[in-house]
Amino acid sequence: MKKNSNRMVSAAIYLFLLFTLFGCNKEDVQKLPQRNWQLVWSDEFDGSAGISPDSTKWKFDIGSGGWGNAELEYYTSRPTNASLDGNSNLVITARRELYSGSAFTSARIKTSGLFAQPYGRFEARLKTPWGPGIWPAFWLLGSNIDSIAWPQCGEIDIMELRGQKPNIISGTVHGPGYSGAAGVTKSFAFESNRFDVDFHIFAIEWGTDYIDFFVDNTLYQEITPDDVTGNWVFDHPFFIILNVAVGGNYVGFPTNQTPFPQSMLVDYVRVYKEVN
Amino acid sequence: MKKIKSICSIAALLTILLMAVACERKFDGLQLATYPTTPEVFVDGFSSGLYYAAYGTSKVTAFSVDYNVKYLGVAAMKFEVPDTSDPNGSYVGGVFGTNPGRDLSGYNVLTFWAKASEPATIIEVGFGNDMGASKYKVTLTNLAVNSNWMQYYIPIPNPSLLKEERGMFFYAAAPKNGRGYTFWIDDLKFEQLGTVAHSTFGILNGNDSIKDNAETGDVFIITNMYATYNLPTGINQNVGLAVSYFTFTSSNPSVATVDDFGNIEIADSGSAVITAKVGDTDAEGSLTIYSTGQSVGPTSLPPAPTIDPAKVISLYSDAYTNVKVDTWNTHWLYSTAQNMEIQIDGENVMHYWDLNFVGIEFTSQPIDATAMTHFHIDIWTPNPTTDKTFKIKLVDFGANGELGGGDDSESEVTIASPPLATQQWVSLSIPLSAFSGLLSRSHLAQLILSGDLPNVYTDNVYFSDNGTQPTEPTTAAPVPTFSSADVISVFSDHYTNLAGTDFYPDWGQATIVSEVLIAGNNTLKYKGLNYQGIQLGTNLNVSAMGYLHLDFWSVTSVSLNVFLISPGPVEKAYTLTVPTTGWTSVDIPLSYFSTVDLTNVMQFKFEGNGDIFLDNILFHK
Repeated sequence: MKKNSNRMVSAAIYLFLLFTLFGCNKEDVQKLPQRNWQLVWSDEFDGSAGISPDSTKWKFDIGSGGWGNAELEYYTSRPTNASLDGNSNLVITARRELYSGSAFTSARIKTSGLFAQPYGRFEARLKTPWGPGIWPAFWLLGSNIDSIAWPQCGEIDIMELRGQKPNIISGTVHGPGYSGAAGVTKSFAFESNRFDVDFHIFAIEWGTDYIDFFVDNTLYQEITPDDVTGNWVFDHPFFIILNVAVGGNYVGFPTNQTPFPQSMLVDYVRVYKEVN
Repeated sequence: MKKIKSICSIAALLTILLMAVACERKFDGLQLATYPTTPEVFVDGFSSGLYYAAYGTSKVTAFSVDYNVKYLGVAAMKFEVPDTSDPNGSYVGGVFGTNPGRDLSGYNVLTFWAKASEPATIIEVGFGNDMGASKYKVTLTNLAVNSNWMQYYIPIPNPSLLKEERGMFFYAAAPKNGRGYTFWIDDLKFEQLGTVAHSTFGILNGNDSIKDNAETGDVFIITNMYATYNLPTGINQNVGLAVSYFTFTSSNPSVATVDDFGNIEIADSGSAVITAKVGDTDAEGSLTIYSTGQSVGPTSLPPAPTIDPAKVISLYSDAYTNVKVDTWNTHWLYSTAQNMEIQIDGENVMHYWDLNFVGIEFTSQPIDATAMTHFHIDIWTPNPTTDKTFKIKLVDFGANGELGGGDDSESEVTIASPPLATQQWVSLSIPLSAFSGLLSRSHLAQLILSGDLPNVYTDNVYFSDNGTQPTEPTTAAPVPTFSSADVISVFSDHYTNLAGTDFYPDWGQATIVSEVLIAGNNTLKYKGLNYQGIQLGTNLNVSAMGYLHLDFWSVTSVSLNVFLISPGPVEKAYTLTVPTTGWTSVDIPLSYFSTVDLTNVMQFKFEGNGDIFLDNILFHK
């Protein structure tokens, strides 16, 4: 495991701790491998308020039907569900409104057919929405999904959050034999902070035999071929998806106390490749 | 050095939920506080300096320390809510305080765990009740508890204010469906939690309210202040806030001033907007005030009453000896009415302002107005009266002479404009039969004035016997003298009427319609009018006509409008002055109904109350 030689193993173990106490006197330092990244694709979401995201970079998924997760929203391409805010952010807004038979609307955008890449660093700086039943996500799907289907194509969830737990995000990979609830996953939690009060940076660094998950440049999970219970399918181009789901198997139903509308603000999405 | 610190703080963030805080708050680096900063209120026992005081009328023994049922540690607070019938008290409530106060400015939320013997709703919990001014009280109402331990949060809106807070916790709970239950509270402490977020604040329930027709000297108070927080569970929670968390601003202090307690006083005419902040955060809700300035009042007296004192029971008049009235303003809950007696030419007039409704009571000596036929009141208002109403309600306490007992009755009469008019005395003499819901008038005990006029002067309030009132005209309506060539007649014995007209179309009305002979003349009678239509036999082109003529008679009606209607429907009302003395004839210029298509008139409608007699309904040139 070449890359492990470059870092303190203790850091990784330490970060896996769930339900563990530690004190401020611990002076652990994460020493991460020096990787040289070169920016290859990005959207900084600059533009005037109300305009739709750049169509040369993003496509909309449109419609209802649950998207395989029993989600309740209807995804639209309307600016009220996805548009720039004029302050260099993309805003994806879930609303409680009747629309084409659905009780909620929201948006889901993807780079499918426009951009996909194997390996590298995928990162987004964003602020999550909140409330029971709200499910924001920044994730990747294998671009061969149309030819070999899910989960063989692979899925990397860089950030998912349940709005009823606004201080916890999860990073997950899904593949053949480890999909859905059996995905390989870990969570990262703030003890006394939330992901919806300030922007945070969510990223993966992905090589041929590892996917490292970061929050604000802190590594909290590394997944290698040894960690998955099926084939390692993370060896081909993946495209990017940003969405805010309402309801669904992962998050449960929104309640009457869920505040609407709820917006995810995305400051940027950047993709790098590793150079020597 | 800085880098190590930041890494340490990131590490701290990684500790997972629900675990004890490893990083104790350290005060070494802080300035010495004047008051202790102890966060615990009750964790496993009374914290330092904590005392308990039960509300005086509650069951004072309800609170105890439970060493068996607890969330964590060795003990919890136990509250035993009694049955409603418990002679020692039918609810529980009290205050946990400290003396001296504590400096809570380093915390942002009071948290605790609670459960109950069965699902129940605790009326209120909170902090900041110091059994005195309670300047910084925060109240969470209707706390839902069940038999599972759950964590609850009561945020502190602006912690920097709480440098010396004595009120650590308070609560009140009542029986559920009359029966008692038990609830427990544990781990009650102040904390600094980053997981309570997205605070918003509001006044007036967050509404942008408008106060019209304010006048110099009027006072109002800002109420219904709250904060909303998103809890660590993602849901929003409202708490009620004391006024002292807010700072208030008037956009125009020369028109309206506002003090630290949300008290507004009108200083002059004009408009002003009252807004509020908590700290630097704008509160939702505002009050926009439109002031007419110094109020205008009557300079002369209303016409002096002329009825024989022997036939009058007077409540308020310089012309008669008045009976005993206990109060001219009961200041009932939600009544904003103020009143003051003024003098004009040496006689008394009662002035009401901020009038939404006002109770006037004569309960100690109820009035027997059985022999009376009319209620009289003179009113004068500076307010515009168009589309406004003034309401008069009489309440009879029944045979027992007391409120309640199942024998009370009341009835209200609504006066429209006209006869209401602005800046002139209007004499209202209302037949007591118009108070149709009044089952008896032998124990009248309350008079309630209300309506849309915030500023009203009143005088000559009395019941009178105006003699036997005829129930129907004794003479026929006056015979019209228009040339038949100039007339299109709908209902008259003196012209050829339009054929096929339906005088009793079913529009869902309650009115009883009949045609009666009055002195040999066919007359239309509406008994118990609410509304009544007339469907013309054919639609009429009356554009060549000049007037709508009709004769009407009523001693019992206090409201009567006639409408002309063309398809659409497009309708327009004209107000007829009632009650009448004998027959009244009107000739209404058709130009008044210009919004209606006069080439295609299809219906009439009458709206109002009482018993009405109508005749000679016709158009003429």
